[in-house]
Amino acid sequence: MDPAEVEFLAENQMVSIVPNFNFERIYLISGDVGPFRAGLPVQVPIWMATNLRQRQKCRIIAPDWMNTEKLEQVKEEESQSRFFTKMPSEHYMVEGHLLLGAASEDIPHADEIRTILKDIWDMRMSKLRSSVDAFIKIGGTHAKLDHLTAMEINSIRPLLPHALDELYKLQKIVRIISI
Amino acid sequence: MNFGSLSHYLSIEDLFATQERLPCKFVVPVHRLGFLDPSSENEDIAVGTTVELPYWLAQSLCSRRCNIVKVEIPKIYKEAYREILKADACVVDLHKFGLFFYEFGAYLSRLEHRDSTEIGSVLVQTFKERFRQVMDWAHNSGTDPAVTQRLDSLERALFREGHQTRAQLDAWLSEGAGQITAAEMVINHKKRKLAVLDDFC
Repeated sequence: MDPAEVEFLAENQMVSIVPNFNFERIYLISGDVGPFRAGLPVQVPIWMATNLRQRQKCRIIAPDWMNTEKLEQVKEEESQSRFFTKMPSEHYMVEGHLLLGAASEDIPHADEIRTILKDIWDMRMSKLRSSVDAFIKIGGTHAKLDHLTAMEINSIRPLLPHALDELYKLQKIVRIISI
Repeated sequence: MNFGSLSHYLSIEDLFATQERLPCKFVVPVHRLGFLDPSSENEDIAVGTTVELPYWLAQSLCSRRCNIVKVEIPKIYKEAYREILKADACVVDLHKFGLFFYEFGAYLSRLEHRDSTEIGSVLVQTFKERFRQVMDWAHNSGTDPAVTQRLDSLERALFREGHQTRAQLDAWLSEGAGQITAAEMVINHKKRKLAVLDDFC
């Protein structure tokens, strides 16, 4: 998959906005949105939030995990643990990327949050690399992908599945010969 | 013995891999095929003549049913080279070993040779050892393209895939998904072209 496709999937996550206009409820296939009342917070998908924000129709309220304290805590946990820890959101990186990109003025300490997110991402990517390597070396047959987010899984595809295919082919030959 | 097919029948890599030549020693005299050995003028091939034959031919000539030639394993799969790979597979220039090191090795180990098992396990071991290196190279955008010169074709394909994914991810991280464009199929659709033409008329 392309990162843009993962981003597309992540854009369905809900986020709170404060609109500055009044509008009726909108009926969408994925669910109803609204009604919009100026000044009252309402939950909308990210794609709608970023679009409204770009047209200056609303103010985005940062998700409750998107603050420096919470993220520092997550980062601390991630660095302490040998395994992947649970992220506050299934698409933390994409959400951070989209919301900080579209509405960095609405989110307090946007720059700090960006840095912490990047730190967490880098830490997890390096963990991912070393665990992939260990997985191949010991010739593992299955791996638990608990708490890995879609973008992270996507970053080692199709390299890992294809490498495993090739390895399987080679191992099959050895097995047949030694029978 | 049937091993099943390794890869697709029309796979070009597979065809190239089975083209590799193997030194074969004839164990029975073969009449009227002397032209296979360019160094001799004889009409027949005598017992003991060594000729280099492509794998696909050698394979069918050395089976248990028709034992015509005895296959010599090429030197890169022999004991001495296997020891080098066992010592440290990462520093070896696999490209020099052979463009289709893994594929050809896999085919070789299917021949009923006494080293078959050894060759097979060396291939698996080498792949496992070198994978980390290939992955690291692929995931570093600043990698010198010259390093791919040291990979065999299978590793090179993996490298290219990994590199491409990485480039896309980096592009996304630095500037987001960017502009959404219409799919090529849609642009080339006849109806749309006609509609555009109508606008001009």
